[in-house]
Amino acid sequence: MTSTTHASFIIERRYQHAPKRVFAAWSDPQAKRAWFVEGEGWDIRSYEMDFHEGGEEKSSFRFVKGEETFGEETLFSNDTVFNEIIANERIIFTYSMARNGARFSISLASVEFSAEGQGTRLVFTEHAAFFDGADGVHMREAGWQELLLKLGDHLDKQGFGQ
Amino acid sequence: MTKRATTHATFVIERTLKHPPAKVFAAYADLTQKAKWFGGPPEWTRSTHTLDFRVGGRESESGGPHDGPEHTMNALYWDIVQNERIVMSYEMLLGPTRISVSLGTTEFKPAPEGTTLTYTEQGVFLDGFDDAGGRERGTHELLDQLVAFLNS
Repeated sequence: MTSTTHASFIIERRYQHAPKRVFAAWSDPQAKRAWFVEGEGWDIRSYEMDFHEGGEEKSSFRFVKGEETFGEETLFSNDTVFNEIIANERIIFTYSMARNGARFSISLASVEFSAEGQGTRLVFTEHAAFFDGADGVHMREAGWQELLLKLGDHLDKQGFGQ
Repeated sequence: MTKRATTHATFVIERTLKHPPAKVFAAYADLTQKAKWFGGPPEWTRSTHTLDFRVGGRESESGGPHDGPEHTMNALYWDIVQNERIVMSYEMLLGPTRISVSLGTTEFKPAPEGTTLTYTEQGVFLDGFDDAGGRERGTHELLDQLVAFLNS
């Protein structure tokens, strides 16, 4: 018998860059890849993004410590569909995560960007269904905490231009 | 510029049905059956209902009151376990305006009486057009229509 657990979390972040620049790090495939996909411990197998409503983003990456952690070569894949895009203001997307082809979660996420002083307040909200005891919301939230830090580092490296 | 606002909400509805899981599941999987219970109130005009029931497949249903705006539901199926679980995401449009995006999980579990159906909706309601309370009431009405269909 299958089992499913549901959970949600919210992460709020402030960046010293205008909403237009923060949004661009989500809408531009090269910029998105730099903070969202590239990372130590991951070997990127494929990445593509078609950033428009109804468009898809697909990434596949090998977990370098897969053999040691799971006893086998371990490929994770993320399949995303963009539900709503409002430039510089809001992105809503749904995505599934799979390990070696077996889906273990389906999520709905919204990212909201609003101007605050010279910078941006970003609110990330995720609702997820986790299957059969996999992964879990704490690990997912920790993952997004790290990704949103990497987003900040990426923006800082790009400088403070418009 | 429209003022952007989002409200996030989750609700869970559990129903005990006097029919086995396979029969209840079929009422979701087969368009001929689903079209008989899934939709607005009986007095609404129905314009389209399409269903491609497989992972990656889509469903679209629209209709509305005679003098009111068209209500459209566009769904995408993310996970299907025969007779056990259906996970889909869907958006609701009022006329051309998107009013919500939701993740809906329907679980079917065998029970002594037949089936325990649990529907969990996690949604984001947009720009003040709809709210979770209205959606939950609407979903109760849909499940009443499902029960009436199964009992017919």
